[in-house]
Formats: sequence, C-alpha cells, structure tokens
Amino acid sequence: MPRRTLSDEKDVATEINLSPMIDCIFILLIFFIVTTVFVEEPGIDVFKPDASIDTDLEKNSIIVAISAENKVVYGGKEVGVSGIGARVRALLNKDDLPVIIQADARAEHGVFSDVWSEVKNAGAKKISLSTRND
Amino acid sequence: MARRRLISEEEETEINLSSMIDCIFILLIFFIVTTVFVEEQGIQVQKPDAAAATPTEEELNIVLEITQQDKVMIGSKEVSLADVAAEVKSGLVDVDTPVVIRAHEKSKHSTFVGVWDAAKRGGASVLSFSTVN
Repeated sequence: MPRRTLSDEKDVATEINLSPMIDCIFILLIFFIVTTVFVEEPGIDVFKPDASIDTDLEKNSIIVAISAENKVVYGGKEVGVSGIGARVRALLNKDDLPVIIQADARAEHGVFSDVWSEVKNAGAKKISLSTRND
Repeated sequence: MARRRLISEEEETEINLSSMIDCIFILLIFFIVTTVFVEEQGIQVQKPDAAAATPTEEELNIVLEITQQDKVMIGSKEVSLADVAAEVKSGLVDVDTPVVIRAHEKSKHSTFVGVWDAAKRGGASVLSFSTVN
C-alpha cells in the first residue's frame, strides 16, 4: 500500500473556496437594500396615546412629532407649526409619501389640529396619527 | 524577441475575487448601518371636507364635543369615555351618518384619540374632527 508523505503536499497551494461566502454576503446585501427606507426620525421621546382600532402604517413615511410641550419637531429639529408646511411640501414634491403625526398624549389638541391643517395644505393625501405599539 | 503563445491551455484561469468582496462588504456595512426598521401603528384622520359639505341637518349628525377640561359631551349631556361607543352606536341612523368630533384646542390629544377610537368602535364610518377655541 503506497503511503503519502506529508512533505509531498508542500507544493500544493492552499486556497479557500470563497464562493459560498460571496453567496451569503450577496443575499444579506440584497436583503438590506430592499428593506432600507430613508426615514428622517424625529429623535424625541413621544408618549403616544393608546387606541384599539389602530392599524400598521406604511414604513416609508414623513414623520412629524409633537412633544408634550407642544413643540413641533421634524428630523431632530424644532421647526414650529409655521415651518412644517414648507418642509413637507418640499418632500412631497419629490415623492408622494404618506404623513404620520406623532403627537404626545399630553400635547394640546389645537397644536395637532394646526399641524394637520399645515400638512394637508402642503398636499399630503394620507395623514395618520401615531398610536402606541401593542 | 520571444513571443508568448496566445493559447496556453494548461494554465488555470482564475478571477481574483478579493477586490469585489471588499466592495460588497463596504456596501453591506453601509446598508446595515443606514437601515431603520420603522414600525408605526396609527389611525388615519380627516377633517370635514368643506367642498362636500351639505346644509347641516343637526339631527342627522352626531356631534361629540370635547371641552377644555377633557370632558366629552353629546348634545348637552356629559358622557364618560367608556360610554361613547355605546352612545354612538345608538345614535347612528345608518352607516353613513356623519360623526363629528368637535374638540377644544386646549384639550388633551389623548382624549381626542380616545374619543376617535370609541366612535370608530361604535360603528361610525364617516368620522371627522374639527377644532374650536
């Protein structure tokens, strides 16, 4: 029975087969490309009101937040009721997105109503208010 | 001058993949970092459409009023938030009966959402809100 010696294999170039790894990475890449939505989050903590009839909202939306102190926030900056209309209009010109108003449960209804009117006048077709996840 | 033959059949052709993998990795990391999973739940709300308004026949509308002190009134009667759904259900003539929530601008947003939720549970399909001061 012929025996192979270890020294015989020294010349064989060791190579790792990369194709399965590339497959995996491609699948991951495609998953992330497909699921990525570029949403500007308000970046403030909003205590949302509770509701029983709520539904899941669209993931790719414009999110406007109203804090408990009645501040109107978009994309991490306080813009005020008067500033929100122009911003939303600029975004809607590029892409017809739904708008979500994230109002704090302790906020005044008047501010919510003003924001709603501003967003509506900016041309938003679908406006929703955000409720607590359950 | 020595000429190399074009056909070198014995040579194994191999593509160097490392640079491609570098690129893909960078793309992958970019997408992992920028991905946000937005999960929002909510309610679609609307105000009464001014263009579609018909001369109001008050008895055909259900008006839920929210006062400055977050009290809910139907007509001149005060009802608790828990009873709104039942009141709306009994007040509906048919499914198209308009229900309007008239909220004071200083009332709490949570009250408004609660009333909206209750009215929807009570079977109101034409639901809208307006704000008074």
